[in-house]
Amino acid sequence: MPSSDLPWPAPSCSRELTAAGSQPDVPLAVRLPSMEKPLTVLHVSLYHPTQDPDTFANVPLKLQHDASPLLVGRSPDAHLQLQLPRLSRRHLSLEPYREKGGTLLVFCLKVLSRRGCVWVNGLTLSFLEQVPLSVVNRVAFSGIQMVIRVEQGTSLEAFVCCFHLSSSPLIHRPQAEETDEWDGQLQEQPSPSSGQRAPYHLGLLHGPSQPSPGGGPETQLQKAPSARMLC
Amino acid sequence: MSNFEDADTEETVTCLKITVYHPGQLQSGIFQSIRFYNREKLPSSEVVKFGRNSNICHYTFQDKQVSRVQFSLQLFKKFDTAVLSFEIKNMSKKTSLLVDNKELCYLNKIDLPYKCMVRFGDYQFLIEKEDGESLEFFETQFILSPRSLLEENNLPLQKPIPEYGCYPSCSTQNTFPTEMDESEL
Repeated sequence: MPSSDLPWPAPSCSRELTAAGSQPDVPLAVRLPSMEKPLTVLHVSLYHPTQDPDTFANVPLKLQHDASPLLVGRSPDAHLQLQLPRLSRRHLSLEPYREKGGTLLVFCLKVLSRRGCVWVNGLTLSFLEQVPLSVVNRVAFSGIQMVIRVEQGTSLEAFVCCFHLSSSPLIHRPQAEETDEWDGQLQEQPSPSSGQRAPYHLGLLHGPSQPSPGGGPETQLQKAPSARMLC
Repeated sequence: MSNFEDADTEETVTCLKITVYHPGQLQSGIFQSIRFYNREKLPSSEVVKFGRNSNICHYTFQDKQVSRVQFSLQLFKKFDTAVLSFEIKNMSKKTSLLVDNKELCYLNKIDLPYKCMVRFGDYQFLIEKEDGESLEFFETQFILSPRSLLEENNLPLQKPIPEYGCYPSCSTQNTFPTEMDESEL
C-alpha cells in the first residue's frame, strides 16, 4: 500500500513545481532522506492529448510502494488512479521482482484490462500478457502516453514513483510521417513475410531515445506508431 | 461479469491441483484454514498469496515459522500465445523457496512447470496444472497428503549419497538399493 501520497497541486502550477523540484544533477535515489538503502525510482511521465485536468487529478507527485505490484487504473483502490472513462478499473500493473542472481529490483508490466490493450516498447499486449521493462520504456494505453525511466536503488523493501505531467506528447507522431510511406514500401515488395514487420517493430523498440533539450523525458521515435498500435 | 454469466457456452477453467504435506499437519492444525478438496474459483488477474497473515494472504498457514507472506502465484498469458501459465514468486526474505530443485530467493520468480514440487522449510506442495479455456477465472483445489510427497515421488534428493562413496552419474536411473550406510563402505 502507498505510504506516501502527496496531493498533486493544481494543474496550472504542477508542472512548474515539478520542474522546480527536479535536480537532474543528483540522482533522486541518493537524495531520498532517512533510508538505509536508496530506493529504486520509477520516473513516470504522463501525457494525455485532451489535457483535461481531471484526468491526472489524483496523480501524486511521489508515491512510495512496497514490493507488491503497483496497480494503475480507474478504480479508487488503484495505486495510480487515472480518470478516463475508457480505462479499466485495473488496467495494468507494474510488478517489482528480482532476476535470478540479481541484487536489484527489476519490473514487469502486466495487462489487467480484459478489453483494452497496452502498447509497450513496440509490443501490443492484451489481457494477462506481461513484458519485462528496460531502463527507458514507452507505454501507451487508452490515449495516455507514459514514459517510465527506471533509476535503480539497492533497497528491496520498496520503490518510489515520481510522476511528471507533460504538456507535450511523449511519443511523437509528426504529421509529416503520417503518410503511409512504410505501407507503400511494403506494397512495393510483395513478400510480406514475418521478416517484413521486423524492422518496423525493431525501430519502435530500439529507436533512439533522446532526451528533450530541457532534459525532459520526451522520447523521439524514428517512426511513430500508428494510433492502432497505441491502443 | 454479467456477459460471462449469460454466456451459453461453458468454458473449461484452468485448475491448479495442490497436494500439500507437512510432517506436523495432524497435530498442529497448520492447514486448518484451508478447505481441502473443494475447488475455489478465483479471478484470473488475482495474485494469490500464501503465508501466515490472513489480512494479506488468501491461503494461510497457522505456523509462526511461516513468513507473513511466503510466496505468491499468479496467472499470465505468454505473449502472442493462448497458453495460460502460472508464475510463482518467493515473498519471504528469510526462507528460500524450492521449485523442483531450483532455489528462489526473495522476489525471485519462475514459471511453474505443469507438474512440480514446491518446498520451503518442512512444507511440501505438489502442484499440477490442468489447462482450461477461460481467461476470466482459474481454480485451485487442495488435497492433503497423508505421507511425504518426496518419498512418493522418489526424488533424487532423497537418495542417500555416501560422503566418501561414489554414486551413479545419473541418479534418476539408479536401480540400486536406495538405503546405504557410510559404515558399510
